[in-house]
Amino acid sequence: MTDAGVASRGADPGRLEIALSGEIDLQNASAVERQLDDLVSNTTESVTIDLTRLTYLDSAGLRVLFGLASRLELLQVHLELRVPRGSVVRRAVEVSGLGEVVAID
Amino acid sequence: MQPAEAYGERLRRLQALTDSDLARLGVDDLLDVVLERVRDLLSVDTGAVLLLDPSGAYLVATSALGLEEETRQGVRIPVGRGFAGRVAQERRAVTIPEVDHGNVLNPILREKGIRSLLGVPLCVGDDVIGVLHVGTLAPRAFTDDDAELLQLAADRIALATRARMTVAERAAASALQRSLLPGLLPDVPGLEFAARYVPGGGGDVGGDWYDVFALPSGQLCVVVGDVVGRGLPASVAMGRLRSAVRAYALVSEDPAEILRRLDEQVRHFERDVMATVLCAIVDAAQHTVRISSAGHPPPVLAAPGRAGELVEVPTDLPVGLPRPRSRHSVTVDLPVGGGLVLYTDGLVERRTEPRGRGSARAPAGGAGGRGEAVCAGVRGRMWGGDPAADDGALLVGMRTPPAPAGSLRLVEPAVPQSLRVVRHAVRTYLGAVGATAEDVADVVLAVGEAAANVVEHAYGPAGGALEVVLHRDGPRLSITVADTGSWREARGIYRGRGTTMIAALVDDVRIDRDTAGTRVVMTRTIGDERGEDR
Repeated sequence: MTDAGVASRGADPGRLEIALSGEIDLQNASAVERQLDDLVSNTTESVTIDLTRLTYLDSAGLRVLFGLASRLELLQVHLELRVPRGSVVRRAVEVSGLGEVVAID
Repeated sequence: MQPAEAYGERLRRLQALTDSDLARLGVDDLLDVVLERVRDLLSVDTGAVLLLDPSGAYLVATSALGLEEETRQGVRIPVGRGFAGRVAQERRAVTIPEVDHGNVLNPILREKGIRSLLGVPLCVGDDVIGVLHVGTLAPRAFTDDDAELLQLAADRIALATRARMTVAERAAASALQRSLLPGLLPDVPGLEFAARYVPGGGGDVGGDWYDVFALPSGQLCVVVGDVVGRGLPASVAMGRLRSAVRAYALVSEDPAEILRRLDEQVRHFERDVMATVLCAIVDAAQHTVRISSAGHPPPVLAAPGRAGELVEVPTDLPVGLPRPRSRHSVTVDLPVGGGLVLYTDGLVERRTEPRGRGSARAPAGGAGGRGEAVCAGVRGRMWGGDPAADDGALLVGMRTPPAPAGSLRLVEPAVPQSLRVVRHAVRTYLGAVGATAEDVADVVLAVGEAAANVVEHAYGPAGGALEVVLHRDGPRLSITVADTGSWREARGIYRGRGTTMIAALVDDVRIDRDTAGTRVVMTRTIGDERGEDR
């Protein structure tokens, strides 16, 4: 089984910070999507997803992030991705065009 | 006693009831309703239906009226003993005018104070499947008319019960069969396996099986077998034989010895079981296969570009015959690109043609090629569109050409779990050929995307194979991700991004699509030579 970690941190419940780690592919993408959906509540004002410790992200995983971005836009929740230059999945995020719909730090 | 006219009237009533109302009831309700009717019609106090258990040795109380404890306690009566056991054994109506300890085994009947009993067998064709009996609290001499009326009710119950048992058995046998056939065939460098199991006409499963497993020595054991018989009993026996072969293969790697021990096991533990089995031990390093056959049709050996030939295996007797027999084996070479096709009778024994001709057709299926493709081809040619009369198993083992030096070649089942395996192998390979961290990230993602496409889009529910080949020639890395399925466009939203991403990650990508499958061929410059242009 492909393993991914989905952990929330930060004290302010309105400003959610989620750190993803491990790998996300076709096998576990929908599980990751469910975990992300469970973390975001209707009182959330902004979500920051940190991909720094993610070691693999394919289009199935990107699909989850695109889907989340579109739903959060509808809910008027601000979404930001943290993908530092040099991080392993930076290329995947760049070539997918995710940067055009989500703010990338 | 009643006058004859009254009986005639009752027979008509029972027949009317049998024809219309009962047909709509489930089996459990039907048993209860028929018992109630029988009680009223015959003016008796108790009634019970006992059904033969799968072993055929015991009758189990299934439905009762006035004797509810009997079903609650699941009373089991050995066939041939006691009252119900005698009815089942003698296959005719039996009456006991005066119950005592000598002629009734079931304590519940005695405790209830039953004085007289009448029982008839539940028959379907020549088979007894159970017993229906009625009893009275006052002594009574049952007449032939009583017995006839009861037999009429018994026949109705027998038919409905048999129909239910057939459906339940078929479902159980089918589930068992599925659980026992190996889901994933072993992944051995230089060898590729593919297999099919097809139930017989009407979804019937039987005792056919195939199995492939690695031994501690690294050799592979390949087995196909066919337990004589059909339905659940054959499937259950198959499960035990399959486990026994696995156990003996750990003790000996001589296929003749494995079959000798299996025969011994069957003769000792499995009465009335007979099976044909073909056991082959594949030495992947030496490219040889040692084969022993217990009455099983010989495998077909196919070399590339040539029609397959039946392997001349000395055919020893099936396992499960009364006396031990000597067993033999033969060793054959497996040429590069060649394959061995193992099958069971269901494959060749078609309703419309005798076995000899069916076997002779087998070679036509065995031209060299990829395992899955060969398997699909043979299956199509042998079974065609006709439903097979019998169930059948087909197993193909191919010796694949060695990858050129400096290459990586992987064949994995096209399932999501394989993606991680593929990524790991590609990462390891790229590290070994001096790719930079950036090369690794890009190529792993490009291969991952192409492989995920195969997993998602290439095959139907039966699945198929995912092949990944990486070859490095100087700074140029060529990458091929192939399947043998038929392409369909991506479905759903946010889909179809993979191809765009691949194009951005490699220098060049080409997609070849034909009837044999789809090949995504990519090239990418790796190592320090790249550097500046990015």
